[in-house]
Amino acid sequence: MRWDFASVFDNTDALLVGAAGTLRIFAICLVLGLSLGLLVGLGRYSRNRWLHIPATIFVEFFRNTPVLVQILWFYFALPILLPFQISPLAAASLGISLNSAAFSAEIYRGGIQSIETGQWDGARALGMRWGQAMRRIILPQALKRMLPALTNRAIEIFKMSTLASAVAYVELLQQGKLIASLNYNPIEAYTAVAVIFFVFLWPLVQFSYFLERRLRRDE
Amino acid sequence: MAYQWDFSPVLANAPLLVEGLVNTLRITGTALVFGVALGLGLALLRLSPRRYLSWPAGFVIEVFRTTPPLVQLFWFFFAMPILVGIEMTPFMAGAVTFSIQSASFFAEVFRAGIQSIERGQWDGARALGMRHDQAMRRIILPQAVKRMIPAFMERAIELMKTTTLIATISYADLLFAANEVSQKTFRPLETYTVVALIYFVVIFLASQVARLVELRLARSGESTVH
Repeated sequence: MRWDFASVFDNTDALLVGAAGTLRIFAICLVLGLSLGLLVGLGRYSRNRWLHIPATIFVEFFRNTPVLVQILWFYFALPILLPFQISPLAAASLGISLNSAAFSAEIYRGGIQSIETGQWDGARALGMRWGQAMRRIILPQALKRMLPALTNRAIEIFKMSTLASAVAYVELLQQGKLIASLNYNPIEAYTAVAVIFFVFLWPLVQFSYFLERRLRRDE
Repeated sequence: MAYQWDFSPVLANAPLLVEGLVNTLRITGTALVFGVALGLGLALLRLSPRRYLSWPAGFVIEVFRTTPPLVQLFWFFFAMPILVGIEMTPFMAGAVTFSIQSASFFAEVFRAGIQSIERGQWDGARALGMRHDQAMRRIILPQAVKRMIPAFMERAIELMKTTTLIATISYADLLFAANEVSQKTFRPLETYTVVALIYFVVIFLASQVARLVELRLARSGESTVH
């Protein structure tokens, strides 16, 4: 067996298109997932039953089902209830974002709960309302403790983005499949895709290790 | 015009779904057994003071933690058979991928557990004349394993969710059965909803068991590592 990466380099354009697709869905899911997660996390933290119970059901459901099942549900099942089609990007983004929202909600809740009650008392003594105290005092402190876990979530989202290929969204793995089937070079094509993912993700993983070390040192 | 839900075509295909669930449990169980054993091996190598052992182990762990499992699965299914010159069934490819992938995560759980044991335990074992591997086997691991149980169960649940990827290379797991049933019955909404619920029930029950065990351990004064 002779390795021949020339056939992969000839298709650099296709891989670039795939990389753009991967980065697009990653960005969408990162923003949607982590911001929706904050809302759900606040719902989980809330003592108001009308917020707490729906948030809990949401978290339990999306944490306890596989994300690929969610994506396929949004792609094949949901359009039957809707008057319009759902694109592969929309289905995959919905699945990955909602899944990430459920996981990050627990990170936000844990982070907020880890802040001492004295901080709340102090904020209230200064005349802040709940929302102000949360925004100005609690969240900024909690965010620092949550940063390593949130970075890990981002890494998971990046890895999950490959599942979008199951509904034929054009991303890196999908392009790898295309190149492999056109050039009969699965070894080189899939190795190249794996290496590209590693190159994207390795710095992010090292960054998360750094954040974890720093947090351990500071606390 | 409201959609008329009708679950009877899906229920008529219940045997297919049951078979799929059994296959899901089969691949999960296989990967779990090999993943834990391999994970322990990787952790011990990683902790070794000898660099020619710890570096390769660290490399395998980092590569499999840092690349998407679906890419690994495709590599083992489409690329490796040509490289090695053997036939790979979808089950074999899935078993190999998920074993190594979960092993690299289990290895970190083992490592955290082993490192959480106080130095004094090592010193005591050495004072009794035990060699490194004896101390590890008789003193350190038994204590470490107890602390690792919650993280370990969490990983096992993650593994079960990850096995759904095997449907993309046509192994007849529960998700693949869902594809089949929905194409047969033209009832994707009902089929995927039922299958999502089956996954939810199985995984939710497993999570509850894990939570109970964690509470029990916490009450018996055992710290846990994640």
